[in-house]
Amino acid sequence: MTEALPAFDIVPALPEVFLLLAGMALLVVGAMRDKDASRVVTPLAALALLVAALFVIGADKTADPIFSGHFVFDSFAAFLKVVILAGSAVSIVLAQGYLEDQELDRFEFPLLILFSSLGMCMMVSANSFLALYMALELQSLPLYVLAAFNRDQLRSTEAGLKYFVLGALASGMLLYGCSLVYGFTGTILFDDLGAMLLGTENGTLELGIGALVGLVFIAAGLAFKLSAVPFHMWAPDVYEGAPTPVTAFFAAAPKVAAVGLTLRVLMQPFGPVAGEWQQIIVFIAIASMLLGAFAAIRQTNIKRLLAYSGIGHIGFALVGLAAGTERGIYGVLIYMTIYLVMTLGTFTVVLMMRRQGRYIETIDDLAGLSSTRPLMAAAMAIFMFSLAGIPPLAGFFGKLYVFMAAVEAGLTPLAVLGVLASVVGAYYYLRIVKLMYFDEPAEAFDRQGRLELQAICAVSAVLVLGFILIPGPLLATAQAAAAALMP
Amino acid sequence: MLYVILVFAPLVGAIVAGLFGRQIGDRGAQIVTCGLMGLSALFSVIAIFSTVGAEPFRVPLFTWMNVATFEVDWALRIDALSGVMMFVVSFISFFIHVYSVGYMSHDKSIPRFMSYLSLFTFAMLMLVTSDNLIQLFFGWEGVGVASYLLIGFWYTKPSACAAAIKAFLVNRVGDVGLMLGIAVCYLLFDSVQYDVIFAGAAAMADATVVVFGGEFHALTVVGILLFIGAMGKSAQLGLHTWLPDAMEGPTPVSALIHAATMVTAGVFLVARFSPVYEYAPVALAMVAFIGASTAIFAATIGLTQFDIKRVIAYSTCSQLGYMFFACGVGAYSAGIFHLYTHAFFKALLFLGAGSVIHAMSDEQDMRKMGGIWRKIPVTYAMMWIGTLALVGFPFTAGFYSKDAILEAAWASTNSFHLYAFWLGITAAVLTAFYSGRLIFMTFHGPCRADEHVQSHIHESPKVMTIPLGVLAAGALLAGFFGYGMIAEDGSWWAGAIFSHPDNTVLHDLHYVPLWVKLSPIVAMAVGLGLSYLFYMRMTEMPGRVASALKPLHTFFYNKWYFDELYDRIFVRPAKALGLGLWRGGDQAIIDRFGPDGVAAAALATARRASRLQTGFVYHYAFAMLIGVAFLVSWYMMVGRG
Amino acid sequence: MTPHLLLFYLFATVAVAAAVMVVSARNPVHSVLFLILTFFNAAALFILIGAEFLAMVLVVVYVGAVAVLFMFVVMMLNVNFVRMRQGFLQYLPVGGLIGVILLVELILVAGTWVVADTPEAIEPRPTTAGLTNTEALGNVFYTEYFYLFQAAGVILLVAIIGAIALTLRDRGNIRRQDIGEQVHRDRASAVQLRKVKSRAGI
Repeated sequence: MTEALPAFDIVPALPEVFLLLAGMALLVVGAMRDKDASRVVTPLAALALLVAALFVIGADKTADPIFSGHFVFDSFAAFLKVVILAGSAVSIVLAQGYLEDQELDRFEFPLLILFSSLGMCMMVSANSFLALYMALELQSLPLYVLAAFNRDQLRSTEAGLKYFVLGALASGMLLYGCSLVYGFTGTILFDDLGAMLLGTENGTLELGIGALVGLVFIAAGLAFKLSAVPFHMWAPDVYEGAPTPVTAFFAAAPKVAAVGLTLRVLMQPFGPVAGEWQQIIVFIAIASMLLGAFAAIRQTNIKRLLAYSGIGHIGFALVGLAAGTERGIYGVLIYMTIYLVMTLGTFTVVLMMRRQGRYIETIDDLAGLSSTRPLMAAAMAIFMFSLAGIPPLAGFFGKLYVFMAAVEAGLTPLAVLGVLASVVGAYYYLRIVKLMYFDEPAEAFDRQGRLELQAICAVSAVLVLGFILIPGPLLATAQAAAAALMP
Repeated sequence: MLYVILVFAPLVGAIVAGLFGRQIGDRGAQIVTCGLMGLSALFSVIAIFSTVGAEPFRVPLFTWMNVATFEVDWALRIDALSGVMMFVVSFISFFIHVYSVGYMSHDKSIPRFMSYLSLFTFAMLMLVTSDNLIQLFFGWEGVGVASYLLIGFWYTKPSACAAAIKAFLVNRVGDVGLMLGIAVCYLLFDSVQYDVIFAGAAAMADATVVVFGGEFHALTVVGILLFIGAMGKSAQLGLHTWLPDAMEGPTPVSALIHAATMVTAGVFLVARFSPVYEYAPVALAMVAFIGASTAIFAATIGLTQFDIKRVIAYSTCSQLGYMFFACGVGAYSAGIFHLYTHAFFKALLFLGAGSVIHAMSDEQDMRKMGGIWRKIPVTYAMMWIGTLALVGFPFTAGFYSKDAILEAAWASTNSFHLYAFWLGITAAVLTAFYSGRLIFMTFHGPCRADEHVQSHIHESPKVMTIPLGVLAAGALLAGFFGYGMIAEDGSWWAGAIFSHPDNTVLHDLHYVPLWVKLSPIVAMAVGLGLSYLFYMRMTEMPGRVASALKPLHTFFYNKWYFDELYDRIFVRPAKALGLGLWRGGDQAIIDRFGPDGVAAAALATARRASRLQTGFVYHYAFAMLIGVAFLVSWYMMVGRG
Repeated sequence: MTPHLLLFYLFATVAVAAAVMVVSARNPVHSVLFLILTFFNAAALFILIGAEFLAMVLVVVYVGAVAVLFMFVVMMLNVNFVRMRQGFLQYLPVGGLIGVILLVELILVAGTWVVADTPEAIEPRPTTAGLTNTEALGNVFYTEYFYLFQAAGVILLVAIIGAIALTLRDRGNIRRQDIGEQVHRDRASAVQLRKVKSRAGI
């Protein structure tokens, strides 16, 4: 050996290392256990995610990029990792009851979520195009499997397959874009690329047309992960077909991770040429907001409705990104955090929709819920009002921050369109509230025995309600995270 | 920590009783709320002793919001003023909680009632301990909501619902003033924090603000706007119409909210903002004028009413007027002193009235009472104590505070001080007269109730009479204990109430002519004597006087026609305008082209949007490719400009 | 025209032609065979630019493993490809248009390619002077690209878990060998002595 090995600094990556080791250990535990493997592995996996989150919180957030510059850990990554890990942990806990009822409680389920979360953490820490691609694949692969997890049911396998095929296509586009950018700029490291673009005269380099087309392809690949229009078509089918707890997971942490990754890619290496990509984001944001608002109106299945709602919300979040300012990033981070809480809460309610032991998912089944299950109806109403963005609930503030950033950045027409879209969107959220409170009661749901569902539902509702009282901590950390992303 | 528990214990009680009322049952809810309230009351006694004469300090809880230069914390401001207020609120609230256990024993939703009561107490404590205007506003609206809920507690009664809505709406009018006042404060001082505002008030003494194109003295504008807020909450002339109607609520509610605590929030606000008012003489003159006018106005109406609770309600209105003109003439501490003594005897009167109503099988009309003093002697004694304190019988609580106020009015240099003094004296005569009338009509003379009711008259249970006893003790003795409040040197307040160096009214009020000092006692004696004459000796006199002064009596009896006036000026035109806009503007034009048209368009769009979703994977892939091709083409052709 | 260039055009043309055949062949078995041909030509192109390691890997992994696996799948599933292709003509105009647009655009993009004029910029990274392909790759795999290499490992692990989770079924009627149980068997548990009465059976 002629040269010494470079010393590895892995401290900033401790949460990921821990997650990986925990995942492998739990894999062994699961394989050794016979009958009750999932009951042992599930809580441990959730615990591992939370411990990893603690690692993140405790870590030094000013470290230099490690692993030859492929991996970076800053306040931005830390913020998103905590949100992602918490969201994943909640998703694991949420799922257990459903899986047991459907006899799907295999120990691979929490492990797949765990590995996917590992991939998400790597996504938000990715600092080169290769790291980005690897992380994205590590995150996506478990998702494909999870979508098809109910393998004996046609809808679920169909969802998995669709997701897989389209995901592969999107990955291909992304990789193609990466190779174009590499080919035209000669580097895959975000830092180098950013410095290169910034270094040219007065910071506004004409990004070569080749790299620009590469950027378009990358944006398309990322938009698929975000389920933003026109790369959204998979979402409604997959959401509907996948088992409900899987859908809950899909709608929560992976979206946050994808948004985080998009922010990082566009703001850091391509930050100096924000004017170039702003048009793509504006287009995608408008299309997503409008489609999310209009297409959801006619849905009868609540999971499908939430898929469109998710598409719309991604559109709103992208409004903040389109601003391309620190305030915009700040708005997006707050938006996604609030979105995660609302979504998980809503899906908890959906998971409680059970009649005579069977899970049901049409919206009409919610009719008259206020008289049969008043607390559940109240929680659902809170989430719906918040998703619609009605003050003083948390959802309103998410929208407020992104729209404000857009207006400050001179994108007033975009903000106006956003407000209009949210007015249309309010229609179907409020329809659910109307169904629950003013329609003739349908047959009552089963009494919900699972404590963890009730707890998650209650906590989410309190968070959504209470945000206005104690917004300080979230705002402050989001501020620091947004600042870390700016050059 | 003590203060945090003091303030938040009622909230815990409200949450437990409100959310888990069904689980813990009526008894449980009563125990929880009364227990936590008792704890709070106990701490409030400690609080008043430790805050008197002590330096103000703040207990920060956490940051509420922090937007650029606009920073608001949740914090408790502890000083002598908030100490007194906490004591009044917690202490009286506790006894009313206990009293309610007996009074509401036949009600179906006891946990709800107890929860509302505790919620109210929490909001009120939040209001008096607030450290900034936003927090004050939180408490202000919190008590408003609790008051709304409690007035409409018997929500199956249409009159109760109407009264609740009326209270809420009238208060909103005042709230607009308060909100504008807060906004102007922020505009002037760049902060809503009390410390900053009070410290900066002197420097702003000559500042001006532009309102509707005219320049006005800034602190006067702040003072008037805040006072408009105070007028709504404290039912001052013009915005008083909700208070008598609020008597639709259960009697303990009337005692707690509409006599002892909430309605005094306005007085508290003015006293709290003494550093601002001291630099705004015009605003002070307005306070004094409105206060004195309310005092006499409400007293005249009180003369003619027959509903026992309404009489006391108008008396409250009138006493609040006293407090305001005390503040207006610069004797804030006298106003707070009266607030503090008034809380005891007015709560006592209300609870006593509640006890009477309870005994008379829910009869409130004094014309159907009479001669029952032998049957309910304890209540009778308590009512006498309350009445004596109210009319200012020597050495009862009301005597000290009312004297101080009238003397201050005489000694002050405010442009309305003599107006306030003479109206105050006249109102004192009227107060004594209608108080005596209430006692004599209710307890003496022949009984005018029907047989059935008469047979049921009974003394109230211990759980109701013991709180009465405690409050009676307060009504007799509170004057001694609080006398330090109006001491010349102001050491009692330790800076919690600010007096401009030129404002010497606290000094001067001790050196007024003897006849001024004696006039309240004379006024009381005249009033009580006349009422004895009218209602005990010559019982045909009231009728004869009423018919002799027929127009005046009708005018008073109909409450100066305020309700009718408002109905004509505001309610009916607003309704007509609303109807017109609704039928003509909204339904015919906006709905047709707006919501209905847009909704139809939206549905059509939705239909098209969901048809895109075919379910075929190659369609989806194709859509993605088209998307990419479109974006790339966009950049090749147009985008790079 | 150097022989080098001649060979490049030969292999490149065959690779593209074979790729077209992969999607247009009627018989799926032929498709897979054309796919293998494409792989071989790609491997040859790698050799032309001196990347012999990649060429070998391509042959071993893609031809040796992936394509053979494809072949198995195609032969076992018996998918009716003719029916699947029915909509082909219907989408041809639009699809063709989009394809042509993209192609033109990419050609335009390729036209803007400029090769840097400094020799360092076109040097392979890392410098391979005096090293074989294999050594050069090995050097960076565990140093500069350690992180990515590990990530790839995790992805494979997840793929295994996923495949097992989706396909492995515990069929009750299949007997499995449990070596631990076999070894632990002793006489007491394995042998039972019974007195058998004559003509009575057990």
